[in-house]
Amino acid sequence: MSMIKTNNARPVLGTLAVLGYIIMIVPILFVVSTAFSTGRTVSFPPKGFTLDWFGAALGNNTFMSSLGQSLQLALIATVIALAIGVPATIAMHRGKIPGKSLVQGLFLSPLVVPELVVGLALYQQIMVVLGQSNSIALLIGHTAILLPYAVRVTGASLALADPAIEEAARGLGASPLRAFFTVTLPLLRPGIFSAALLSFVTSFNNVPLSLLLQDRSFRTLPVTMLDYIQQNYDPTIAAMSTLLLAATVVVAIIAERTVGFAKIFGGINK
Amino acid sequence: MIPAAEFVGVTQAYGDFLAVDNLDLTIEEGKLTTLLGPSGCGKTTSLRMLAGYARPTAGKILIGGEDATALPPEKRGLGMVFQSYALFPHLTVADNVGYGLKLRKVPAAERKARVTEALELVGLGHLAARKPKALSGGQQQRVALARAIAIRPKLLLLDEPLSNLDARLRVQMRAEIRRIQAETGLTVVLVTHDQDEALEMSDTMVLMRAGKVMQTGAPDEVFPAPANRFVAEFLGYENFIPTAEGLFTVRPEQLQIASADATTPGLNLDGVITSSAYRGVDLVVGVDASAPGGETVPLISVLRRDALPAGHTGFTPGERISVTAPAPALVHLSE
Repeated sequence: MSMIKTNNARPVLGTLAVLGYIIMIVPILFVVSTAFSTGRTVSFPPKGFTLDWFGAALGNNTFMSSLGQSLQLALIATVIALAIGVPATIAMHRGKIPGKSLVQGLFLSPLVVPELVVGLALYQQIMVVLGQSNSIALLIGHTAILLPYAVRVTGASLALADPAIEEAARGLGASPLRAFFTVTLPLLRPGIFSAALLSFVTSFNNVPLSLLLQDRSFRTLPVTMLDYIQQNYDPTIAAMSTLLLAATVVVAIIAERTVGFAKIFGGINK
Repeated sequence: MIPAAEFVGVTQAYGDFLAVDNLDLTIEEGKLTTLLGPSGCGKTTSLRMLAGYARPTAGKILIGGEDATALPPEKRGLGMVFQSYALFPHLTVADNVGYGLKLRKVPAAERKARVTEALELVGLGHLAARKPKALSGGQQQRVALARAIAIRPKLLLLDEPLSNLDARLRVQMRAEIRRIQAETGLTVVLVTHDQDEALEMSDTMVLMRAGKVMQTGAPDEVFPAPANRFVAEFLGYENFIPTAEGLFTVRPEQLQIASADATTPGLNLDGVITSSAYRGVDLVVGVDASAPGGETVPLISVLRRDALPAGHTGFTPGERISVTAPAPALVHLSE
């Protein structure tokens, strides 16, 4: 009700908002509805109703193995990016590091360097020169592109925290380590959680880097789906997309229930 | 008796800038000492060095007679109240106050008793289960005070503790802090830029400027006898009159204006009214007066309106009058 009222009060803003929702949601509805179609190709409007394509998607070994590898990659890359990014952020905010802005720029540079360039560089150095497997190259590449999120998002919540809080803990008898774990870290928790969520999703959805570094032994789900769609145009791909969408919704609900979006994204724009 | 704390030749330099310049200062046991001065005078830096949050560039800091210069804050056993209160937002009021006790491994039962005791001392026993966010600024301030007191600190350090409160609450808290100090017998160091606060609360006030101590003493020693022009100005003396015997100062409330030749013993000067403004119970009058050397000095006189002759509504700019700084109110500035 309140939304309708707002739209009435500000007609232009309301129209734009509705338009925005349409642009975002209609393609999703299109994909979801074709996943249940009995037709042999992805087409709209869908014909009939079947769950067969979901069976096909779940039974597709290439999809399932690459899903597992994608999840694994996203999880490990997120953990490593946070393990490097969070302490680095704290050091940059609280410590006296020479060339602080340079270091900060370095951590954020994967945001501006095209991912294909990062991918090519990794291919050259890690796979060709050092002879490492593509899974190592992928892990390094994904970690690199996640670092800006880890640094930026935790940095934003750290910037909001009063440095005197940590000093107060020290004054009351806490060692620097103790003060970090009992005071600083709990204050950063929503920021770290949102950084983790963003990082995970970014890695999981990444195409350019994964595309450049793929090979038969290790490939991610988005690349596999891209490959599939170039060969086939049946609704299996729509079913797989719908499953991913459902999983994302579940994750979002869990995040909302446990921490709350306001708190998670409060880490970014309070 | 060993002083609670001492600064011995303490300097804090940031590059060429001396935030604190060769400071020698004794903090007496059981007293409330105020570091008073305008911003940038080094008072907060001194407090932070005493607390261990800043390391002196040179000199020594003694706490209870022992060299504490190199000790980190957690080893000093001092209670600090920050200007921003710095409460732990994720902990309840009781857990905030008990934080230091937990670190000291005080058993749970005793901890609870001491938390309650500290909260009751500041009058917040009933809010123990709240989170800091659910408290008003004044209440947060009291929690910060209770948290610092609960660890039974060697010294209680207060960094501009009242500056974030509204005017009425600020005046209330002055008395409150004095009461708590009297009840606990704690040695307190208070940093403030508010001269009224310092005059009202201190046993000893230390006036600072540009990293140096300008004057030290009890309020009733310092106020009637400021050592130099800076201290006098900071304490609200606004009139400075150069004479052959040196520089004299007098407070605006004590500078008298008479339309005829004055007869009160003191310094009598001829002058011209420059302004006259209504201020409730007072009249604020500006005068350009001729000092004994012939120099013209701008003076301000604050007259109680009820002491003016009936029907007197103020002075007119340009009016020639004579001003008198009565002898008992005249302060000779030695520096």
